[in-house]
Amino acid sequence: MATEISMIPAITFLLPLAAGAPVLLWKGMDRRAQQGLPIVVAALVTGMGVWMAIKAAGGVTLTAWNDELRVDALSALLVLVIGLVALLASVYSVRYLRLEGLVERVGKEAATRRTRIFYALLLWFFGTMLWGSVTNNVIMLYVAIEATTLTSGLLVAFYWDRRALEAGYKYLMLLTIGITFALFGCVLIYAAAAATRQLSGGNALLISEVRTVVRFMPGGTAALAIAFLVIGFGTKAGIAPFHPWLPDAHAEAPTPISVLLSGVMIKMALYALARTVSIFYPSWPQVAVFLVALGAFTMLLGILMALPQNDLKRLLAYSSVSQMGYVLAGVGLGTYLGCYGGLFHLVNHAIYKSLLFLCVGAVIHSTGARRISELGGLRHRMPITSGCFLLGALAIAGFPPLNGFWSKLTIYLALAKAGLWWAAIVAIAVSILTMFVMVRAGFRVFWGEARAPAVSEAAAREAPPVMWMPMAVLGALCLLLGVYPQAAFPLLDRAAVVVATLGR
Amino acid sequence: MTQADPAAFNANPIETLSLLLVITSVAAVEMRRLRLSVAAYVCQALLIVALLAAFAAVNPALYWWAGTALVTKAVLTPWFLFRAMRGAADRELKPVMGLGASVIVACLLMLGFFRLTHGQAPLLGLTGMAEHEVFRTNLAVASTVFALGLYAVLTRRDAIKAVIGLCLLENGVHLSLVSLAPELPETAMFGVATEVVVTVFLLLYVIGGVRREFGTTDTFQLRELRQ
Repeated sequence: MATEISMIPAITFLLPLAAGAPVLLWKGMDRRAQQGLPIVVAALVTGMGVWMAIKAAGGVTLTAWNDELRVDALSALLVLVIGLVALLASVYSVRYLRLEGLVERVGKEAATRRTRIFYALLLWFFGTMLWGSVTNNVIMLYVAIEATTLTSGLLVAFYWDRRALEAGYKYLMLLTIGITFALFGCVLIYAAAAATRQLSGGNALLISEVRTVVRFMPGGTAALAIAFLVIGFGTKAGIAPFHPWLPDAHAEAPTPISVLLSGVMIKMALYALARTVSIFYPSWPQVAVFLVALGAFTMLLGILMALPQNDLKRLLAYSSVSQMGYVLAGVGLGTYLGCYGGLFHLVNHAIYKSLLFLCVGAVIHSTGARRISELGGLRHRMPITSGCFLLGALAIAGFPPLNGFWSKLTIYLALAKAGLWWAAIVAIAVSILTMFVMVRAGFRVFWGEARAPAVSEAAAREAPPVMWMPMAVLGALCLLLGVYPQAAFPLLDRAAVVVATLGR
Repeated sequence: MTQADPAAFNANPIETLSLLLVITSVAAVEMRRLRLSVAAYVCQALLIVALLAAFAAVNPALYWWAGTALVTKAVLTPWFLFRAMRGAADRELKPVMGLGASVIVACLLMLGFFRLTHGQAPLLGLTGMAEHEVFRTNLAVASTVFALGLYAVLTRRDAIKAVIGLCLLENGVHLSLVSLAPELPETAMFGVATEVVVTVFLLLYVIGGVRREFGTTDTFQLRELRQ
């Protein structure tokens, strides 16, 4: 593995952070510039992500600031996913976030101030997520992840009505408490690494260095650190039973933010969990069974909670909980096959959950309704949206030949190969339930009879191109990775090796 | 790292300060008048600053920590809290568990953590430093303050009180860093301390919105999203 010193990892996260400041401070900034800046920044980040991915696939690790920042294949994968989803969500938000409704409720001045804050926080939200993906410092990893909570807290409560405020309060309170446990875990890693006296000075903070001394750490400390990290980062990643904040926040946030929360933020937290806990695997392989059991519990609970939901966004949010269970079961297994499947599923879920949220956003945008019981028969009025939703629903259910099929299949095989048949059976059963839940919802909303007269007679039209184009891109990705899953292999292979510390 | 010389400490003041930390925690949790509760919190913040300064006698890096704590915990956080309470009722909404329960919980927690930190040396004696009596006491007290904060968040109905609980919880974490990670670089310490203040600010901002929309800061009234 070659390492190369490069400033690109630093630029990836400093660029959005720097771009957010003028948006917040310059009150006279044109609204188009406010909307355009996140798009441009996210496009640049995606470009840098592609470059890093190519480097990483070629076996090069990029470092900066004396190893404070470190981009291997796993980090590059995260940067690429964050960049792409951020780009599509920003494009989508141009038309989705209309000023008119807001002006009516809070007045023109407050509305413009609030959109200004929205775009500034959106940029900072990108920046903090990217920072967490590229940092190699275990304490800064905590700081970055808590910073994603802080930058997104007001975005969740953006509508500032009763529902949004309740979601925002719970989001900030529960995530801050949860993530404090992760701080304990990170500090324990650092303290235990420093106490081994194998590393000099600040090197005990660097995850890539700590990996090398884990075998010298006392067993009790490792167990304590793992428990704290699972509670802390698990809360943020929506792992049951720490998930209650998730459906509220993901459902009440404006749709572009829901996309970012469900599409990438929870993945980022799971990345942090994998990054930190995987270093303990070689010395304590027993952790694997515990994490797989937690993953199986999460997938089952998530889908059972999604089953009775009438609210489309809540349904998708609970389904996110369920899908994170798959990622945890795969990555938590610690074998190469499990990590490959888990990371592939992480990418796939980012694609199709973003797609599904964008479709639901389009439905809300044109009908104003989001309850399944109030909707129906939208297929003729919104053909593109209904097609995209069907594609996403089949992909999330693991229907061949779409991308979700391959990653789920890999996870089943990895679980079976490891002898954890019970987990494989739970995963397959949950997949069938997912099919039922998603296809039923899609069928009722787009195919069935329109229920409330207001919706069928309203001028429900297809979403404008800036809204359906991001959906089309994501739908195409679902198909591409389904028909040609090898496309992701060079990067996923290297990324899986990073976390697959239990060997091939 | 300069090894701590146990003789360099005058252990008694540190033990006294530690005990006072637990008492101020209970006071902050139990005071029914929110302004008094914040006052108890300020006392605790000042005690932490004093404690950090006392430990800094052997570990100068902690002077930074003490300075940051003074600004963030003793000045900014109370200022935000008092500002958020302006124009609202001073009396806290009735909590789920009362004074008697709290005192019992506090005593049990303290006993438990003392046993843990003094009995389970291999588990927690991470650095050579943490082997010393004062650092173990510090860890036990830090854990107690943390758990009391968690207890407050879970059992208080008033959102403002929950925020005070959150502050206590964070105080506990920061206090534990003295024993666990005394050599943490300034940037990391600064990041950790700043984020707590920002969290408190944002939470109080959202709570301000909650009070306008719901007419109360009772978290039990936040049930729009339960279906």
